[in-house]
Amino acid sequence: MMDLTQPQWVRHTVLHPFEGFEDLRWKKAGSLKYAAVIVAALFVALIAYDRWCGFQFRPLPDQLFSILPYLTRSVVYFAAWVLGNWAVCTLLDGEGTMKNICIYSAYALIPYIVSVFVNVLLSHILVRAEMVFFTTVSYVGLIWTGLLLFNAVKAVHQYSIAKTAAAIALTVFAMLVILFLGVLVLSLFQKVYVFFYSLYTEILYRVRV
Amino acid sequence: MKYNPSRLLTRVCAGIAALLTALAAPVPAAADEPYDVYNYNYLGEAVPSQAGYVAERAVSGLDLGTTAFSAPSDLCRDRDDNFYVVDSGNNRIVKIDSELQKVLKIYDRFTMPDGSETSLSNPKGIYVSPDTGLIYIADNENARALVSDAEGKVQTVIEKPESTVYDQALTFLPQKILCDNAGNVYIVLNNTTKGAAMFDSSGSFIGYYGANAVPRTAAVIANHFWNMIASEEERQFRRRNAPTAFDNFDIDTAKGFIFTSTSSGASDTDIVKKVNPEGHNLFDYMSGYRWGDLFSTWYSGTTYKTRIVDIDIGDDGSINCLDATTGRVFQYDKEASLLFIMGTTGDQVGSFMAGSVTAVETKGENCESVYVLDGGKGTVTEFRQTVFGRIVHRATALYNSGCYEEALGPWLEVLKRDGNYRSAYLGISSAYYNMGRYKESMDYAKKADASARYNRAFERYRSEWLRAHLTGIAALAAVLAAALLVRKYLKKRRKQKQSAPDAGETAA
Repeated sequence: MMDLTQPQWVRHTVLHPFEGFEDLRWKKAGSLKYAAVIVAALFVALIAYDRWCGFQFRPLPDQLFSILPYLTRSVVYFAAWVLGNWAVCTLLDGEGTMKNICIYSAYALIPYIVSVFVNVLLSHILVRAEMVFFTTVSYVGLIWTGLLLFNAVKAVHQYSIAKTAAAIALTVFAMLVILFLGVLVLSLFQKVYVFFYSLYTEILYRVRV
Repeated sequence: MKYNPSRLLTRVCAGIAALLTALAAPVPAAADEPYDVYNYNYLGEAVPSQAGYVAERAVSGLDLGTTAFSAPSDLCRDRDDNFYVVDSGNNRIVKIDSELQKVLKIYDRFTMPDGSETSLSNPKGIYVSPDTGLIYIADNENARALVSDAEGKVQTVIEKPESTVYDQALTFLPQKILCDNAGNVYIVLNNTTKGAAMFDSSGSFIGYYGANAVPRTAAVIANHFWNMIASEEERQFRRRNAPTAFDNFDIDTAKGFIFTSTSSGASDTDIVKKVNPEGHNLFDYMSGYRWGDLFSTWYSGTTYKTRIVDIDIGDDGSINCLDATTGRVFQYDKEASLLFIMGTTGDQVGSFMAGSVTAVETKGENCESVYVLDGGKGTVTEFRQTVFGRIVHRATALYNSGCYEEALGPWLEVLKRDGNYRSAYLGISSAYYNMGRYKESMDYAKKADASARYNRAFERYRSEWLRAHLTGIAALAAVLAAALLVRKYLKKRRKQKQSAPDAGETAA
């Protein structure tokens, strides 16, 4: 019963929002490799949305393009989510391991990624007046991903619905804390770097004089 | 001659070096200008540009055969293209011919209506009516304005109004003066924020005209709120919300609109206004628009930002703003989109003393010349339109009057000379759109980064494409539908075949 290959598992979880992740957990399936590919696909999708859309929908001038915001919005946010969820749910008697949280959350992102790519394709044949199709697709993708993510958290930690909702709220808070600390550490390292660099130049001047 | 290999080598090396330096020497974009010519792109970045105007010459009072100008403060052109320089320090008006070659007349004494003679005292402003040829002079320290004919016979004297509308505690020191097509006289005073004092043609006071608006900032709104709930005594000690006062203006004689300019840096609201005869600002919708340079620079405790001290409306409707901080003239078309920037601070021709430029004036049907009066140096500098400037002006004029297709040729010519000129891409896109060449219109809209225009052209392109390929699309749809039907039928049959033997068995 339910002897699926890894791609079939991905398909199964995405198409069965309520049972899929329970099945995944029951069969101890799911692959970290596939999760990594999905997060990479999210990164590509975000860039595609700003770069490959039909010109009538393109919001971003070419000169202002930078790769860093996309990296942040995909990889960094995902990492913060996984870390935050793991930290919160370990304290809340969750049963999920870091690896499983990572896999389940990544699988849940697929509808959103697909909706972005569908929009990129649609944007080449629609005009601005027909934007409603565009927004419908992205809403469907977002709601589907939201549903999957909720059930992913519920399944991986074996929570009730109420506890899942609370855990997600706390996770978002934890993400904010993690990102805040991350920025703090970055600026600290920058200061340290500047300190040692000015020390180095100072010594260089003294040696020369 | 003795053969000396090392000497020969040195010579060859020197020759090569000289050649290399000659080749490597940077070729300036505009070889004649003492400044880098630039323009702003739609992202607000300064980008190099072709010069629309080049400084031709600077003329001083001595060049014209009279004494040097002393702190000249205003410049005006009459209907015969003669120029009037208000030579404030010498208390006179100097009339110069249209080519700035010689002095035609010097007005230093005027005959009053009662026959007595009078002279000027630190005059500040002048306007010559294109209809009547009358000369309007803001005679600042005599606290009056004179309306004189070309011979120097004063027709009307405007003095401090006795009306109750005019606060009698205030002085009456005219700074700038103007008259409209109906003969009404407008005078800028430096002691009120209510606008220009307006007089009818006989010199009696009508009221104030065209005041700036108070900026709509959060601080102003909060202050207004606290003033509302404050008591009468408290209110006396509270700051009142007052607008900045405009300090120069010009009239678009063809249309009758008065354009005002404000040099005060206290607010960014209403720096340039276009006021209709009713007193409403038609540029109100762009009250936050940055006229002049988009960025202010901060250096050693002082902020240097654009200070527009004079404005001139060309015969083609172009808006020329003079920035005293940088000595630059910013030329806009009548829709207020930036055309050219010229001038700088310095000592060469085409550069001015920092903070001392006082007036800008234009000449010609398409603004062929721009004149800048430098109050510090006492010179009039003429900027002459380049070929590039002429083409841009022609294209802009056609484009603004809606002749998109006629403007196509000039715009293509503009692009050949300056690929950074964004209006050209927009103009070409509009022209091709009107001509029904939607694909090209899309291409140029894309180059201008104008996605709304691209959208418009794409919509027409798509419907044309659909109409052209309708049979193909219909055929494809029919084939697909047939294929689906066949597949469904085959599936059904396969299922029937699989279940048929079972049925036979049970029956048997």
